[in-house]
Amino acid sequence: MNPLLLPIFLPLIAAPLIPALSPRIPKFRELTGIFISIAVFIASVSLFRETAAYTVPWAGFGFDFTLRIYPFAAFILCAVSGFAVLVSLYSSVFMQSKPNADWYWFSFLITLGFANGVALSDNLVLLLFFWEGLLVTLYLFLALARENTECKATAMKALIINGVADVLLMVGIGITGCLAKTMSMSSIAVAPLQISGWGLAGFLFMALGAMAKAGAIPFHTWIPDAATDAQLPFMAYLPAALEKVLGIYLLSRVCLDLYSLNGSPAMKIILMTIGAVTILVAVMMALVQSEYKRLLSYHAISQVGYMILGIGTGVPAGIAGGVLHMINHAVYKSCLFLTGGSVEHRTGTTKLAELGGLAASMPVTAICFVIAAASISGIPPFNGYFSKELIYKGALDTGYTVFFIAAELGSLLTLASFLKLGHSVYFGKKPEAAPEVKEAPWQMLLPMGVLAGICVVFGFGAKLPITLLIEPSLAGTLSSLPEHLYGFHFDKLFLLVFAVIAAALLNHWFGVRSGGSPQKASEHIHHAPVLGTAYTLAKARVFDPYDQGMTLTFFLGRGLYVLDRVFDFLIDTLPTAITEYGALLVSKFHTGFYGYYLAWIMAGFILLALLVSYTGALP
Amino acid sequence: MVTSLPYFAFIAVPALAALACPFAARIKPRYADILANTALAVGLLTALSFIPEIAKPLTLQAWNMGTGLSVFNNDVFSLLMLITVYMVALCTAFYSIFHEMPDGRRGVWNALILVCAAAMCGVAAARDFFTLYVFVEVTAVASYALIAFEDRRESTEGALKYFFLTAPASTFIVLGVALLMLYTGGTSFGHLAQAMSSSGAGDSAVAIILGVMACGFMVKAGLVPFHGWTPDAYQSAPAPVSALLSGVVTKAAGVYALIRIALALRVIYPAHAANAVGQALMFFGALSIVIGALGAVYQRDFKRMLAFSSISQVGYIVLAAGAGTPLALAGALFHLFNHATFKTALFLNSAAVEKQTGTTDMRKLGGLEARMPWTALTSNIAILSTAGIPPLSGFWSKLIIIVALWKAGLQSYAAIAIFASVLTLAYFILMQSRVFFGKTPEHLAKVSEARAGMLLPPILLAAVMIAIGFYFPLLFSNLVEPAAKAFL
Repeated sequence: MNPLLLPIFLPLIAAPLIPALSPRIPKFRELTGIFISIAVFIASVSLFRETAAYTVPWAGFGFDFTLRIYPFAAFILCAVSGFAVLVSLYSSVFMQSKPNADWYWFSFLITLGFANGVALSDNLVLLLFFWEGLLVTLYLFLALARENTECKATAMKALIINGVADVLLMVGIGITGCLAKTMSMSSIAVAPLQISGWGLAGFLFMALGAMAKAGAIPFHTWIPDAATDAQLPFMAYLPAALEKVLGIYLLSRVCLDLYSLNGSPAMKIILMTIGAVTILVAVMMALVQSEYKRLLSYHAISQVGYMILGIGTGVPAGIAGGVLHMINHAVYKSCLFLTGGSVEHRTGTTKLAELGGLAASMPVTAICFVIAAASISGIPPFNGYFSKELIYKGALDTGYTVFFIAAELGSLLTLASFLKLGHSVYFGKKPEAAPEVKEAPWQMLLPMGVLAGICVVFGFGAKLPITLLIEPSLAGTLSSLPEHLYGFHFDKLFLLVFAVIAAALLNHWFGVRSGGSPQKASEHIHHAPVLGTAYTLAKARVFDPYDQGMTLTFFLGRGLYVLDRVFDFLIDTLPTAITEYGALLVSKFHTGFYGYYLAWIMAGFILLALLVSYTGALP
Repeated sequence: MVTSLPYFAFIAVPALAALACPFAARIKPRYADILANTALAVGLLTALSFIPEIAKPLTLQAWNMGTGLSVFNNDVFSLLMLITVYMVALCTAFYSIFHEMPDGRRGVWNALILVCAAAMCGVAAARDFFTLYVFVEVTAVASYALIAFEDRRESTEGALKYFFLTAPASTFIVLGVALLMLYTGGTSFGHLAQAMSSSGAGDSAVAIILGVMACGFMVKAGLVPFHGWTPDAYQSAPAPVSALLSGVVTKAAGVYALIRIALALRVIYPAHAANAVGQALMFFGALSIVIGALGAVYQRDFKRMLAFSSISQVGYIVLAAGAGTPLALAGALFHLFNHATFKTALFLNSAAVEKQTGTTDMRKLGGLEARMPWTALTSNIAILSTAGIPPLSGFWSKLIIIVALWKAGLQSYAAIAIFASVLTLAYFILMQSRVFFGKTPEHLAKVSEARAGMLLPPILLAAVMIAIGFYFPLLFSNLVEPAAKAFL
C-alpha cells in the first residue's frame, strides 16, 4: 500500500467500526479515536520530507485520483493530524457522557480522513470530493450534538451556508479546469492562470469558496451559533483548527499556484478589504459577547481576516505571515477553546456572569489561557505577535496604510475583549452561587499545555517554524523570500505594541469603572451612540445573510405557492371542470329516445351538406 | 399458389360452414362450436400466410375495374381487413364455447357468427359500391339477430334501435350508389375514380354523391352525431357480440367504405386534404373523438363506457382517413387493426366480469384485481394501449396519426387528437379504479377467476398488443410503409 494512502484511508476504514462495535466494547470509541489519530500523525510526520505523487485512474475525463505530497501539503497534513491527536485526547474525557458520542467519534475520524484528502489531493475534482465530504461530517457533528431542535437548525444553517460556498468553489473549479485544460493543480502551477475575463470569475469563485471554509464574512454566521449548540471539542477541532488550516491552504494555493494574484492589483485590494472588514466586524461582535465560547467563536472569524489580509497583500512577507498566522491561530485558538471546555467541564457553565476567580482553583488552565490570550492579542514574545508583524509589514509594503491601521485596531480590540474575558473568568471576584471546583483532569490539561507550549516555542522570533514549515512551503511559488522572516526586530512596529497595550488597558479600566464589574467592561462601547444601534440590529440578525435569505425564501415560497395555484387552476381545475361539464351535457343528451337519435342523424346530414357545399366551393 | 387463391374462398368457406352448422348441432351441439372455430382458424392462418407476400414490392393497380369480386393479392388494405375480421370472429367464436346458452341454439349462434364473418369478407372483397352495399346489409342483418339473440327486453330494444337508425343509412347509401350509376354509368370504385379525375376538382355532382354515401357509412360506423344506436346496441348485446360489433362490424360496414372513399379522393387530391368530403370526414372524426370521450366519462356501465370509447377511437381512424396523406392512411389502417385487438379484449373481459359477478354496473364492482388477476392484467394492458401509452401498440398508431396530421398542416386536428388521448386515459383510469383496483367489496369476496378458455383470447390479444408495440419498427418497415406507399 502506498504510504500516501494511509493518512486518508486509515481513519475512513476505522470510522465505521465505532458505531458498530462501541456498544459492545467499553472505551472502544475513545481508544480507537486516539490511536488512529496518533497512527495518522506518525504516518504524516514520516512523510514530512517526502516529495511524491500517486495516481490511479478514477472517473475519466482527466478526473484522476492523484495524490501529491510536497512541503506545503506535508505541513498541512501534520497540522491536521496533530490537532486530531490533541483534540481526541481531550474529547476522550469531555465527550464521555455526551449524547451521540459514537457518532461524534465516527464524524471525528471521517473528518480526519477527508481533511487529509484535501491536503494531499492534486486533482481539483478529487479535492472537491473531499471538500464536500467534510460538509457531511460538519452536519453530523452539529445535528447530533445535543438532543434538541436548536442544534438541528444550526446544523441546517451551517450546511446551507457551506453548501452555497461549496457550490461557488465547484463553479470556480469548473472554470479553472476549463481554462487550464487540466484538473491537475501541479500542472496548472507551472504556468498560473491570469486573473482576467473568465479567469477573474474562476479566481473569485474559488477564493470565495476557500475563504468561506475559513469562516470569512459573510459566510461566518453559523460559527457563533455552533459555539452555543455544538460540543466544545468540535469547535476546537473544526472551526478553530481544521477549517482555517484547509481554507487558508486552498486560498494560498489559489492565489499562488492556480492564478497569479500579483497580476491583478484590483483583486488584491478586494482580498485585503474582505480581510480588514472581517477583522473589524467580527472583533467588534466579540467584544460585547457575554459567553465564553461565543466570544471565542467571533475571534475565530476575526483572525481569519488577518490571514486573508496577509495573503491578499501579494507581498512575500505578507503571504508568509498569513500562512504562519494560520498555524499560530489554530494553535492558540484551539487552546482557548479547550480552556473554555475545561471551565465548562468543571463548573457546568460558560456564562461570564456566573464565573469568576477561577485562577485560584484551576491554575494550569488559567496559565494556558493567559498565554493563548496574549498570543491572539499579538503581545510579544508569544507566537501571535510574529505572524501579525509579518502581516503588518506586508500591508505597509502595499502602500495602503488603511489596511495596516485596520489590523492594528483589530489587535487593540482583541486585547480589550480578552482582558474582559480573562478578568471575568479567572480573576476578579467569584460569584456567591458558583460552586467550588478543582483543576481539570490530565487528559484535558495535556492538550492545552502542549498548545500553550507551542505558543511559547513558536514565539521569541523563533527560527524553527519559519525554516521548517513556512519557507519550504512557499519556496516553490514565491520567487524570493525576504531575509528576516524570523527574529526580534526592535523597530517602530514593536514600539507600537506598547501603545496598543496601554490603550487596551486604559479602555478596560474605564469600562470596569463605568460598568461596575469585569464582564461589563465593554458596555460603554456596546451602548455608544451609533454602535449601539448597529449592535441591536446585529443581535436581531439583520446582517445575517442566512436569516435574511431565509426570510426572502419564505416570501419567495409564498409567491411561488400562489403562482402554483394559478397553474393548478389552469391545467387541472379548469380543464377538469370543462370536461365534467361537457361529459354531463353529453350524457344528458343520451336519453335513449329513438326520435332524438334519428333527429341527430338528420341534423348531421344537413351539417354534412353544408360543409361539403361550403368547402367544396373553395379552390 | 396461395397468392392465386381466389378471394372467393374466404367468403365461401365460412358461408358453407354456416350452412352446415345447424346440421352439425343436431348431431351434437358442441360440433357447431368445433366447426365454426375450425373454419375461422383455418381462414385466419391462411390470411396470415399472405403477410410475407405484402412485404414484397407491389405492383398495385389502383382498382380492379369492372368486376364485382377480385383476386386480392394486390391490395394490402383488403388483406388487413381480412385478418382483422377473422381474428375477431375467431375470438368471438372461441369465447362462445364458454358462453352459456340453450344447447339447441348453438347451431344458429355459430351460423350467425360465420355469416357475419363471411359478409364482412365480402365487404373487404368488393370492388364496387353496390356489392359493398349488399354485403354491408348482410352483415347488418346477421348483427341484428345476434344482438337480439338472448330474448331480453333490452337486447330487443338495442337490436331495434340498430335496425331503425341504420335504415336511413341504407337509404343514403343506395341513393348515393344510384346517383353514381346515373352520373358515371357504373358503380365500381374505378368508375368513381374515373369520374373524379375527368370531372376535375370542383365538380359538385361528385361531391354530392360522395357526401350522401359518406353520410350513410358514417351512420354505420357510429360516428357522432350518427352514433345514437351504438351505446344501446353494444350494451344490450351478449358480450361476445359486443366484441364482434365494436371490433369489426362497425369497421367493415362503415369505416372501410369511408377509407375507400378517402382513397378515391386521393386520386384527384394527391397532395393533401383540401377537399370537401375529406374535410367533412375529418370534422366528424374529430367530433366523434371528443364527444365519444366525453360521453364515456359519466357512464356507470362497463360495456356502455366501452361503447363510447369505441365511438371515440373510430373517430381517430376516420380523422386520419380524411386527412388522406399516405402516412395518415397508414396510421388509420394501423389504428383500425389495433383498435380491433384492444376493444375485443376489453369486451371479452367485460363478458368474463359479467359472468363471474353477474353485473357490469361499475358502481357494484371494485377490487377485482385480487379476485380475477388475469382479467385485470389483460384489461389493464388493453386500456393502456387504447390510451396510447408507450410501448404498447396503440401508442404507435396514435403517434403515426398525430405526426401525419401535423405534417399535413392540420395542427389543430393534431392538437385535438393529443388532448383527446388525455381524456381517453381519464375515463379509462376511472374504469380501472372502479372495476379492478381498490378494496374488494364484501359481496364480491367469493368471486373467482374466469375459466382458462375464456382467458385465452384476451391473453393472446394482449400479447399481440405488446408484441406489436415492441416490434413496431419491424412492422413499420414491412407492413405499414408498403401499405402507405401503395396508396401513392
